[in-house]
Amino acid sequence: MMKRNPYLKIGLTIIGLLMLITLFAPWLRSADPAQIDAAQLLMPPSSAHPFGTDQLGRDLLTRIIYGARISLSIGFIAMGIAVAVGILLGSLAGFYGRLVDTLIMRCADVMLCFPTFFLILAVVAFLEPSIFNIMAIIGLTSWMGPARLIRGEILSLKEREFIQAERALGASDARIILRHLVPNALGPVLVNATLGISAAILLETGLSFLGLGVQPPVPSWGNILIEAKSTLGVAWWIMIFPGLAILVTILGFNFIAEGLKKIIG
Amino acid sequence: MSEQPLLEITDLRVTFDLEGRRLTAVDGAQFSVARNETAVLAGESGSGKTITALAISRLLPPNAAISSGSIRFNGHDILRMSQEELTGMRGKEIAYIFQEPVSFLNPVFTIGDQIAETIVLHQRVAPQQARRQAAQLLEQVRIPDPQRVLASYPHQLSGGMNQRAFIAMSLACQPRLLVADEPTTSLDVTIEREILDLLMELKKSLGFSLLFITHNLAIARKISDRVIIMFQGKVVDQGATDTVFRCPRHHHTRELIQAYEKIGKL
Amino acid sequence: MSTYIIRRLLGIIPLLFGITVVSFFIIRLAPGKPVAVEQSLNPRVSPELRLRLEKQFGLDKPLHVQYLIWMKQIVRLDFGRSYIDSRPVMEKIAERIPLTLGLNLAALVLIFLIAVPLGVRSAIKADSAFDHSVTFLSFLFFAAPTFWLALLFMQFFSIQLGWFPISGLTSLDFEYFSAWGKAGDSIRHLFLPVFVAAIGGFAGLTRYMRSNMIEALRQPYIATARAKGLPESAVLYSHALRNALLPVVTILGLSIPGLLGGSVIFESIFALPGIGRLFYEAVMTRDYPLIMAEVVITAVLTMLGNLIADISYACVDPRISYKER
Repeated sequence: MMKRNPYLKIGLTIIGLLMLITLFAPWLRSADPAQIDAAQLLMPPSSAHPFGTDQLGRDLLTRIIYGARISLSIGFIAMGIAVAVGILLGSLAGFYGRLVDTLIMRCADVMLCFPTFFLILAVVAFLEPSIFNIMAIIGLTSWMGPARLIRGEILSLKEREFIQAERALGASDARIILRHLVPNALGPVLVNATLGISAAILLETGLSFLGLGVQPPVPSWGNILIEAKSTLGVAWWIMIFPGLAILVTILGFNFIAEGLKKIIG
Repeated sequence: MSEQPLLEITDLRVTFDLEGRRLTAVDGAQFSVARNETAVLAGESGSGKTITALAISRLLPPNAAISSGSIRFNGHDILRMSQEELTGMRGKEIAYIFQEPVSFLNPVFTIGDQIAETIVLHQRVAPQQARRQAAQLLEQVRIPDPQRVLASYPHQLSGGMNQRAFIAMSLACQPRLLVADEPTTSLDVTIEREILDLLMELKKSLGFSLLFITHNLAIARKISDRVIIMFQGKVVDQGATDTVFRCPRHHHTRELIQAYEKIGKL
Repeated sequence: MSTYIIRRLLGIIPLLFGITVVSFFIIRLAPGKPVAVEQSLNPRVSPELRLRLEKQFGLDKPLHVQYLIWMKQIVRLDFGRSYIDSRPVMEKIAERIPLTLGLNLAALVLIFLIAVPLGVRSAIKADSAFDHSVTFLSFLFFAAPTFWLALLFMQFFSIQLGWFPISGLTSLDFEYFSAWGKAGDSIRHLFLPVFVAAIGGFAGLTRYMRSNMIEALRQPYIATARAKGLPESAVLYSHALRNALLPVVTILGLSIPGLLGGSVIFESIFALPGIGRLFYEAVMTRDYPLIMAEVVITAVLTMLGNLIADISYACVDPRISYKER
């Protein structure tokens, strides 16, 4: 499966390494990510601070590693919510058809009209921008892709012999949906979800960059970059390293998605 | 009139490169088509007949190559032709019709555009003139209401109608050789007969050679002067149609004929 | 064809209804909801603010009445007045829409001009060094966050090279420029924002164009075009490209929400007075009427964009209009 699939190999390596780093963060960098050091303000990269320090003298590498925890977990959990909602609504629409289908798919159409960023910002304006809220909002505004895929797959699977046979044997709707339809439709959803993680991470970093996502002092890749803006032309490292971290992570997920696409065909 | 055949294929070998694996699709095929003759290239699917047909104008897909042999057409060595000579010959000297006219016609151009394109390309006439010629061609293939069909897109016409239009397009420049690759396989039986009758009639009035490719021995026997049987990339039998059907040389030909006789189709 | 257009136009009625319902639901998330205030999770909500919200949206009345009140205002395009400067919200948005639409339109044109030729060349030269480098670059640009690219470009092109101004719409001494000088100044100010806005879409469309073109080149009608004796250039650029290009119309429509959403970020970074920045300011100052108006209006703009894309697709692709007839 991995043979002749460089995309999947590279992608899994990147994300695997990243997860190890976030898992062992406290052992990798002993410093506290919020440790302020007035003697070390805006220091360029050195052996003590490989990625340099920020305006408050905090170690940038430490902050990026802890930021990875936040950004990755938001990506995974937000997408988890989106996929769960998507599978639920998509399989209901595909399986029951008619009115249920029309209603659910019209809802998806409506949701797709809203530019995601506007919708999310509007909700954030009304709620507290806590990490939990951000996960929930991104998840609840991203279920349409998985829902459409699941529905499409189920519509085409529904009439196949093995499903008809199962029905003739008296299986319940729930059993048919959960045991047979959803597993068979998971392939394309997996690709979509992997790309969705990237999208969720990009949304989170964008939100945090605007000051409406993860709130300082908790580090996230997006809010570290707020400082990059105010130190533009002064401290290149604050701009380069968090950005590269985002870039490499998104590349990793997108490579995995590309590799999965090849396997599924 | 010379004794030399119009098309002469000697020891043709075509190989495919399938992700590193080499596959021989045509293995030393050798046959010829005389002027004004109807030759049928018959065989089961996968026997290499379509590849052979495409090789005649070097229309093979990029992963296929002619590894040896020669193809001589009207005294020219096709394998030695430059790209310009090839495009000058395709459509003008050698024309093709294919199995499913709907997918072999471009969906986003009208029938009129597609026929006129061929005429403008090879005859260097003004577009309006080409359009008029296209209308005449459609009448020639007995399409009623040619003006409507000229303005139609392929998906708006029936399969039989499309195949007639395709024939009109292919014969637009009076080619010397028409290669017909299973042109009736996708059509209903009644339409199939009409198209076959039309082809034979056009051949008589226009005078071209026809290389007809089919898996259907009944059609082969009905229309051909000569028949060439392919099996697993090789030509296993060929000769005058009556001779081949009366005393087939290769056991595969015999089996094929017996199979058709059993169901009473011959 | 015309029945198709009429059917699509009728289809926007439920969508419009849905858009207003979702937007309305967001208002209900607002601090006007008793729970939120009582638990005082949201310190930004003063009692005074709550009163204003109650008055405008009738929050003390039953749900469906509230919705009807709000709808009655919306159909008259009355979104209320801004909390910040008391100007009508519609007026504030209307004066800023041209810039955002102009920027996004310019970005769309740029995306199209770069992505289509690149994707097509990639497809024709599939698996060549050129194709691999285009693929690599697309992945790279697709993965880079827009706001980070904006910072990088500002650092490099504006600060290091001094080619473009860092932000804003015009220079300080703009008024003293000649007409040409003014045009040049505006272009210099808008170049980076448009380029940044285009980058994400450009990478996506290049990939899309490449796979479309490869798919088109596999079709049987390409064999026909070659068999007719057409030179390779006509086979590629007339027969294959025409088929590969048609679905792009819909993709351009689908990219509208992404572009509009992106405007929030790049208009904020480059300090451009469009509706994106207006929205950002509204969110930061909790200017609820303005927030609601922008959510509804951008959703309607997206819907109209998709509608136009669908209808123009039906016009250019003979197969669609036929099926729907």
